[in-house]
Amino acid sequence: MRLDTALWRAIAVYRVAALLYAAGSMAVYTDTYRRPVLGWAVLAGMAAWTATATWLYSDPRRRGRPLLLADLALTLTALLSSVLVLEPGLVQAGDPTLTVSWAATPVIAWAVHGGWPAGLAAGAAVGAGALAERGGTPSQATVNSVVLLLLVGSVVGYVVTLARRAETAYARAVELQAAAAERERLSRQVHDGVLQALALVARRSSDPELARLGAEQERSLRRLVAGPVAGVPSGEADLRALLPSGADVEVAAPASPVLLPAATAGELAAAVGEAVANARRHGGGRAWLLVEDEPDAVTVSVRDDGPGIPPGRLEQAEAEGRLGVSRSIKGRLADLGGTVVVDSAPGRGTEVELRVPR
Amino acid sequence: MCPAEDGPLTVVVADDHPIWRDAVERDLAAAGLSVVGAAGDGDKAVRVCAATRPQVLVCDLQMPGLSGVEVTRAVAPTGVRVLVLSASGEQADVLEAVKAGATGYLVKSASAAELVDAVRRTAAGDAVFTPGLAGLVLGEYRRMAAGPVDDGTPRLTDRETEVLRLVAKGLTARQVAERLVVSHRTVENHVQNTLSKLQLHNRAQLVRYALEKGLAD
Repeated sequence: MRLDTALWRAIAVYRVAALLYAAGSMAVYTDTYRRPVLGWAVLAGMAAWTATATWLYSDPRRRGRPLLLADLALTLTALLSSVLVLEPGLVQAGDPTLTVSWAATPVIAWAVHGGWPAGLAAGAAVGAGALAERGGTPSQATVNSVVLLLLVGSVVGYVVTLARRAETAYARAVELQAAAAERERLSRQVHDGVLQALALVARRSSDPELARLGAEQERSLRRLVAGPVAGVPSGEADLRALLPSGADVEVAAPASPVLLPAATAGELAAAVGEAVANARRHGGGRAWLLVEDEPDAVTVSVRDDGPGIPPGRLEQAEAEGRLGVSRSIKGRLADLGGTVVVDSAPGRGTEVELRVPR
Repeated sequence: MCPAEDGPLTVVVADDHPIWRDAVERDLAAAGLSVVGAAGDGDKAVRVCAATRPQVLVCDLQMPGLSGVEVTRAVAPTGVRVLVLSASGEQADVLEAVKAGATGYLVKSASAAELVDAVRRTAAGDAVFTPGLAGLVLGEYRRMAAGPVDDGTPRLTDRETEVLRLVAKGLTARQVAERLVVSHRTVENHVQNTLSKLQLHNRAQLVRYALEKGLAD
């Protein structure tokens, strides 16, 4: 993650800058210290930790709880050592502590690592340290620092979480775009090569089996590379894309998507599939589908050129419980609030009309 | 109607895939038709048609330069009959080509015999009405009827709707004629009418659009 690398680098820079500020502050106030040598020793310790922490945090595998706790503990130790270095009265009076803003570093580190709850917790810990060190009734300046620490912890944590989410979303978008571009490139290549060759096989092969296979593969491959149709709202589906296909099925449909709620479209397509299977089995092998999209209903007609069913036979077969497929189709349509009309006569083929209201 | 009264039927083939184009040319030549020109892109197709004046242009929909629809729009008014060859899954473009003046459409997976037959019928002035095309035309009339309708919006008569539905369900013109107890020619006329009304409306819209643009400038 590039974002994390940048954030931890920024923390390292802050740590060094804050250390320089602490050193400058110490140089100015060293005359007033009760134990100046100890003060400089603390500063040396801070410098050592600044270097060590920067190195430790540079590896993502080490950015864990032990390091964060050690960071917070060492910072608190340095902060509280002010009590030993400064004159007690001066601490009370509000002279700068040894660590000054260097003490905020673990708060930022916690916030970056664990979001606003961790940032707030670390801010509270360092704030409590600052209050304990001053003792008695805290001055306005001390309260301000504590509030600032809490704010830094929570705000940095919150913003980092947002930034991480944005980075993830951006990475996903880039990924999708790359996938779309790849699909585009692939489909162009397939369109210009394989599809043309398959169509040619379908048309010129003297072997009808080979011709049928070629046509079928051409169709399904074209559907595959075309990908999902644009302009279909979520929750809806284009019925045309769900219908059965094959060299023995001829589909007549409008040029624009036939939109239905996805579940309805799926059920209707399944019913059409059963009707087509029926036509293949009993109806002379070929089937014609007509999809009609009207304002109040969607109608799919399935026709075959088979021998047809003599009058009365359909009812008879149904009564005997033999027409399982027909019953299943009717059941599906009834669930959708639609109707099924079977029109057949000997020598005229069979036509099944499935109608679903909008 | 016999197209071979004075010499062989003349055809131009436009398709950007050389293997495919050669195959189509061979099929047509083998059937005794005269392929007077070929083009690998839309612009060239228009130029070749202007130079050779074929009876039929067999035109792919997806070509570099001018698309099949634009080529149809350019050559149909000059008297060249256009038979669109499309791969499956290009219904919207097929419909546009038909509105622009193409009188027939065949899927690329159709057999050589079907292609030759379609070219002959196109040359004779018959609409090559496959079930797929009937479905598209029916769908387009329904779409127009569902949208804002004015006096200029073409409508289907009940009889025309009936004919289109039967053709879309795969019945041949002869079967439709039997079913409706009318002559074969009457069925052809109904089918032709549905196409003509659509093309006329499309032209009128283009003219209106051009006038509006012209007046606005």
